[in-house]
Amino acid sequence: MHTYMWLIRREFWENRAIWIVPAVIGVALTIAALFGRIDFGAAISAEQQRMIGPTVLLAYGFTFFAVMSIYSSWYLMECLYADRKDRSVLFWKSLPISDTATVLAKLFTGVIVIPLVYFLAADVSTLLMAFIVSMRAHAYFGSVLWQPEPWLQLHVLWLYVILTTAVWFLPITGWLMLVSAWARRAVVLWLVLPPLALYWVERWFFGSHFVGSQLAERTLGYVSRAFYDRSNPSAWATTSIGTDTLTTPSSVWRVLNPIGFVSSPATWVGLLVGAAMIYGAIQLRLRRSET
Amino acid sequence: MPALIEARDLTKNYGSQLALNRVNFTVESGRIVGLIGPNGAGKTSALRAILGLTAYRGHLNVLGREPFANRAALMQEASFIADVAVLPSWLKVEQAIDFVAGVHPRFRRDRALALLAKTQITGKRRIRELSKGMKTLVHLALTMAIDARLLVLDEPTLGLDILARRSFYDALVNDYMDETRTILITTHQVEEVENLLTDVLFIDNGRIVVDCSIDDLAARYAAVAVADDKLIEARALRPFYERPMLGKTVLYFEQPDIARLAAFGEVQRPSVSDLFVAKLS
Repeated sequence: MHTYMWLIRREFWENRAIWIVPAVIGVALTIAALFGRIDFGAAISAEQQRMIGPTVLLAYGFTFFAVMSIYSSWYLMECLYADRKDRSVLFWKSLPISDTATVLAKLFTGVIVIPLVYFLAADVSTLLMAFIVSMRAHAYFGSVLWQPEPWLQLHVLWLYVILTTAVWFLPITGWLMLVSAWARRAVVLWLVLPPLALYWVERWFFGSHFVGSQLAERTLGYVSRAFYDRSNPSAWATTSIGTDTLTTPSSVWRVLNPIGFVSSPATWVGLLVGAAMIYGAIQLRLRRSET
Repeated sequence: MPALIEARDLTKNYGSQLALNRVNFTVESGRIVGLIGPNGAGKTSALRAILGLTAYRGHLNVLGREPFANRAALMQEASFIADVAVLPSWLKVEQAIDFVAGVHPRFRRDRALALLAKTQITGKRRIRELSKGMKTLVHLALTMAIDARLLVLDEPTLGLDILARRSFYDALVNDYMDETRTILITTHQVEEVENLLTDVLFIDNGRIVVDCSIDDLAARYAAVAVADDKLIEARALRPFYERPMLGKTVLYFEQPDIARLAAFGEVQRPSVSDLFVAKLS
């Protein structure tokens, strides 16, 4: 445990972007809240007002989450390659730390620690934004943002998404780490070309689409596994604003579908495939000491 | 007491190229062993195998363990600086000390700080801001602060100037070395280490060609400078190498018959570097 703590700390030293990027986003959003235009007119109903709060909170969270997904993928792609490239891998290997611990600490950093840092940054900057907007809008708009229920829902949503994406995307995480441990150069090419080659080989020689549909399912299928979709009327509510209609979750509690997620075979198949790739990354890490 | 390192039929190949070819040797506790050979001879492969960094064939036991499957445990008691191992450029000196202190139970922070205090290097500096020699000094300070039973040094003083090299070897012998420790060292600069070694292992083309303690060297090898008129007679005793020097020819003998050689001139113990040249050319 003690060793893992140092290994994760080490990742923060090496990858300062882990906290610098979310801090920069937070500062930018805070500046926007300070100097941006706050004018929604007076023509919104009480019900619409009630919905603006959660929507703004969600938009904030989504901004952080989108950047986090990109950064985390980049981190996982680099994490077992960078120290082979700069040849410091032998220094790390001169210490009494197993390759398994090294790989698992990096995995944990990529899928849990980094998302939590962004979560924290999103939280702090959302609080700041809500505070600033309340002051500027003379509490009129602020009352919309200071509702405990949406806040609680947002926190549950974040934690749920962090946990379920960690599991669902484990095959992609595993592939990133496997390539990171394997490639001697051109990591991005190794990342993209083998799946692409598999896809075309299958298409040409067998005329089937198994690889393609699996890839599409894995990248696009997350939301429909972890959440109830719009066909479920109790989960989604429609409001009309003027001539537009807006469909939003009636409540976070109703859209989360943890039972559906856990009982889906695709979740467990993905977990196994991902675990196998991470095992492969550990084996490569054991054997490969240079680029 | 069992040997600290024991290799039997140690073999390592990269594809069809044989880097180590059924190598046998042992290293006893308390020795300073020089593993000496030309580039590509198999030195690095042997060190990598000993340190658990690479898979191999044959039998290898280091500090009572099979190294490849037990590298992390082995590194509790062994430490190394490999020639290509560089500290990561983003690391601060104080972070390096904190990290090693955090993960290594035998690291002595006070000793690392004392070693660094003798240099101009401060803890806030990042490795990338240091000169090559300073980087090596930081790495040496980190490594020498570990209470290891086995220290492996692969070209440790590469990039250091002559003063830093001298003070490094002085520190190694006077401050670090004691009877509980064993040092395995490779270097191209044989002259630099030959006075501190207790044993030499010459390796060439993946094979051990000389395995001898310095004390036994005089009994096993001899060099005699022979005048030209006696050369044919001396060659009959089958020297394994000869080279001209100042109008005479120096002949090198293995398992020499000292009494017979004495007839040709003064019999000398060849230096390690002379023996290296004689054996490997």
